[in-house]
Amino acid sequence: MASRLCRLIRPAVAGLARCSQMPRRATAALQHVRFDSTTAGESLKPTIKNVAQTVEIAQLEKFGHYVAENLPKFVQEVRISAGDELDILVHPEGIFPTISFLKNHHTGQFLNIIDITTMDVPTRKYRFEMIYMLMSLHFNSRIKVRSYTDELTPVDSITSEFHGANWMEREVWDMFGVFFANHPDLRRILTDYGFEGHPFRKDFPLSGYVEVRYDDEERRVVVEPLELAQEFRKFEYSSPWETFPKFRLTEGDPETPAPKEPEAKS
Amino acid sequence: MASKVVLRGIQEVKPILSVNKTESRRRALNLYRAWYRQLPYIVTNFHIPLTTTQCKSRLRSQFNKNKDLKDLRVIDMLVIKGQMELMETVNNWKQRNHVMQLFDDFSAASKSKDFLSKFYEGHEQ
Amino acid sequence: MLRLWPIGRILGARTAAITAARGSSTGVTEKVEVFVDDKPVYVEPGTTVLQACAEAGVEIPRFCYHDRLSIAGNCRMCLVEVEKSPKPIASCAMPVMKGMRVKTDSPVTRKAREGVMEFLLMNHPLDCPICDQGGECDLQDQSMNFGSDRSRFTDINFTGKRAVEDKNVGPLIKTIMTRCIHCTRCIRFASEVAGVEDLGTTGRGGDMQVGTYVEKMFQSELSGNVIDLCPVGALTSKPYAFTARPWETRKVESVDVMDALGSNIVISTRTNEVMRILPRMNEEINEEWISDTTRFAYDGLKRQRLTSPFVKDESGNLVATSWEDAFIATAEKLSAVKGEDVAGIAGGLMDAEALVAFKDFLNKMGSEGLCTEEIFPGDGAGTDLRSNYLLNTKIAGVEEADIVLLVGTNPRFEAPLLNARMRKSWIHNDLKVAMVGSQVDLTYDYEHLGDSTQVLQEIANGSHPFCKELNKAKRPMVVVGSSALQRSDSGAIHAAVSLISQSVRANSSCDDNWKVLNVLQRVAGQVAALDLGFKAGVDHIRQNPPKVLYLLGADEGAITQEDLPKDCFVIYQGHHGDIGAAMADVVFPGAAYTEKDGTYVNTEGRAQQTRMAVTPPGLARNDWKIIRALSEIVGSPLPYDKLEDVQGRLCEVSPNLIKYGDAEEANYFKQAQELAQLTKGQLDNAPLQPDISILSDFYMTNSISRASPTMAKCVTATKEAAASKY
Repeated sequence: MASRLCRLIRPAVAGLARCSQMPRRATAALQHVRFDSTTAGESLKPTIKNVAQTVEIAQLEKFGHYVAENLPKFVQEVRISAGDELDILVHPEGIFPTISFLKNHHTGQFLNIIDITTMDVPTRKYRFEMIYMLMSLHFNSRIKVRSYTDELTPVDSITSEFHGANWMEREVWDMFGVFFANHPDLRRILTDYGFEGHPFRKDFPLSGYVEVRYDDEERRVVVEPLELAQEFRKFEYSSPWETFPKFRLTEGDPETPAPKEPEAKS
Repeated sequence: MASKVVLRGIQEVKPILSVNKTESRRRALNLYRAWYRQLPYIVTNFHIPLTTTQCKSRLRSQFNKNKDLKDLRVIDMLVIKGQMELMETVNNWKQRNHVMQLFDDFSAASKSKDFLSKFYEGHEQ
Repeated sequence: MLRLWPIGRILGARTAAITAARGSSTGVTEKVEVFVDDKPVYVEPGTTVLQACAEAGVEIPRFCYHDRLSIAGNCRMCLVEVEKSPKPIASCAMPVMKGMRVKTDSPVTRKAREGVMEFLLMNHPLDCPICDQGGECDLQDQSMNFGSDRSRFTDINFTGKRAVEDKNVGPLIKTIMTRCIHCTRCIRFASEVAGVEDLGTTGRGGDMQVGTYVEKMFQSELSGNVIDLCPVGALTSKPYAFTARPWETRKVESVDVMDALGSNIVISTRTNEVMRILPRMNEEINEEWISDTTRFAYDGLKRQRLTSPFVKDESGNLVATSWEDAFIATAEKLSAVKGEDVAGIAGGLMDAEALVAFKDFLNKMGSEGLCTEEIFPGDGAGTDLRSNYLLNTKIAGVEEADIVLLVGTNPRFEAPLLNARMRKSWIHNDLKVAMVGSQVDLTYDYEHLGDSTQVLQEIANGSHPFCKELNKAKRPMVVVGSSALQRSDSGAIHAAVSLISQSVRANSSCDDNWKVLNVLQRVAGQVAALDLGFKAGVDHIRQNPPKVLYLLGADEGAITQEDLPKDCFVIYQGHHGDIGAAMADVVFPGAAYTEKDGTYVNTEGRAQQTRMAVTPPGLARNDWKIIRALSEIVGSPLPYDKLEDVQGRLCEVSPNLIKYGDAEEANYFKQAQELAQLTKGQLDNAPLQPDISILSDFYMTNSISRASPTMAKCVTATKEAAASKY
């Protein structure tokens, strides 16, 4: 009996709780994925990324502009991406000064290099987008420095600033073929000796160009042009309902303007 | 007038290492020389079933493949990769099969053939 | 029966709109302005809200609504909010009104969708992981896009979800009726398009079931289409069950060769194996349906295949050998005989590339004995004028016609999709159909004029009462089946039909561009062969017995061992070990239509290309390449090495062969008819009887479908169904 009573009450309680706790803005975000009429359980967290508070974003933006003011020669753009991440877009010449500024300036203190990576967009004039991710333990904050280069333009190494960048730059060199000037020990790190090409480039086939096997006659491992005995597996997931762009966008992405808040209906 | 057209064609780029032709030529020759001098040791260290002379002609042909390159940065990039390769070899980081790869030639496998032999092999067109 | 159904008229309005666009003068109607999410769109009055939204680029989720079926409005998934309407409306059934403001993404709409979806899922099993529809399921996709991410349905007492017993509806369709969401698309398809009133619902509310009332087979030549129509996994393909997932297959857009219509298909393959065949939309030919042989005969491509060349040894057994040996054995024989002692027969599944290579090869050797297996009368204009052997009105032309006279054909089984068009036209446009030939079930009413050639004669000379009706028509069609032309008096039949068409043309008020005479071919390769100048029928070979006979995919047994001299050397080239291979001395394994890029010309004269979806098995090779290679061994190589070169040669012979997608018009009807009057032949007294009159004969018509186990099951099942009391 009691349990049945509970069951009756629970949705009402849950509904109340939600109305009181959640700020209006967050409910709007939720409405996008699910209309609030069909809630059953206790968990109210939607299965989407929690975007930071507006206050924090404003702070991030402020800091970004501060960096831009200090390095007017290098910083080309400051933006918030993926909801709450600060990006500083700099000229390739400005990678080292920017990173050194972020590390050493007392307002930043980004003392940890999290990762260095590259994104290959072959259609661009400078096909490689360099991405440096830094973290400041002191301010509990993260930042991304983005720049660009192509296959033949060298990028200054930041190993003198961050020793941890050594292997990361080697990885970028190995995988993308971006040359780092002034790197103390630039050589391959992941691929096998004698491997040709840079596998993370978009024009490098997923299957590679060669296959390797042990040859009994030669008594060594030989490399041969690729001949796939098994069909290459390629999956296709298209659905006719993918034509609904509205249901595919994430909210709060500045690159895609957030849809207008639907008028509140009682 | 003509010089203007030429100037328009020239793009200002950041050099990798060499700033002029002489310098890049020097680098390429230095690399060639370094390989050349190391070859006898490579041949013995890795038990390469060829004579040093054969290896030297192979080395020469590999360099000759790129003899028509003009872009300094492309040459520099190749020289850098060649140096890395040499380092991996002389330090014995490579194993025998890696060094032997330098002598493998894939291009021989893809010969142009006539209709009938392609038909018998079952290769589509 | 179904001739007039009220909601269907809305659909009819759509067809009318299409015809209006084609140029008939219905008068331009004023367009209605509606607002979809505040965006104005102008649509024809009578359009549904759902169609208006589609016009505006907004797809409304739906289950029961389908473009080509009548409107049911029972799934409620397409509910949208309309301003000033007290509750959401079902957009698929609601015609637009002036100034309507539709909101396709408002909270009310979304709530309605989520509610409908929740109810649907409440009665739907959670067996997606073992469901064959997974990955292409409308319910799955739409619940991801429009449904809520949680449900109020709890089954604490384990009373169980709704469960429905599965039905057995034959060897093609697998039913898992618990998954059914009662959209009734299959029922509407069966009664409207297929014309078989086998499916229906029983019970109501939670006890509603879709089924066949009593356990019986769903007997239709188009039954497979309900698999595509079913938005969930309730109706799935039995042969395809549990074999592949849609996302891991590769899709190749190709053309079907099971009949002469050239239906557009998509071949799904995985690991070099055809997994299934689906229809591809082509308004001119197959709309979006395909027949059951097209869809299910693909397993015949894996059985009884020739995978290596064979040569007959001393003891008379065919022994597998290499290409080199087979070629040398053949070349020895070919060089030993004179050119005119060589003859060739092309079968019905051959592509134009192989045919042109074959013709060039034999002509180069000095032979003129190139025949097709399918007979076509040679007297009169014969095959010299293209209009004589084409379906000149085109398949889509049926929708404009107002009277059709069928002569000795059963389109239901010879060209199921043409028959579906005629049925559609019979429902919507009051098409009148008459038939000379034995009485068959065409799924719609027609006037049976008799099956004797006497009737044909009477219509030809104008003494038959039906002539009056024909002459009254504005757009008459006369369709003669290729099966009627297989008789000895085929010339006379063709001449009579051509006379009928010409006199109808002259006496009725049809406009000059309207073509009356139509020939319905049965095999896919025939039109291309005739375009290339093959002799139709094997009479030539019977009269001049050859020393070497080259069978190019000829599997229907037009020439048997008895017709040939004892020492005749028979070469067979083809993909199946069928009748042709059995009588051969040398066998060359060729490629089937899924394994080559081949040109096929359908009965309308429309050139289309099949695409290579898988590689030929074993040592089998593309057909024109075999002939090209053999020509080199014989010593007079054909001047083409690549597919483009062969197509260039096709273009030289007949440019229409490489104008892919276009149906090349044919003309000179009058001249053809005048020439036809010169025919000497007399009409036979034997009744006109199409080869296939019942469903069980429909499944096995060529070497591929004869090798297919699924088709064999269908034959058994239809025979059993015919014997059963229902």
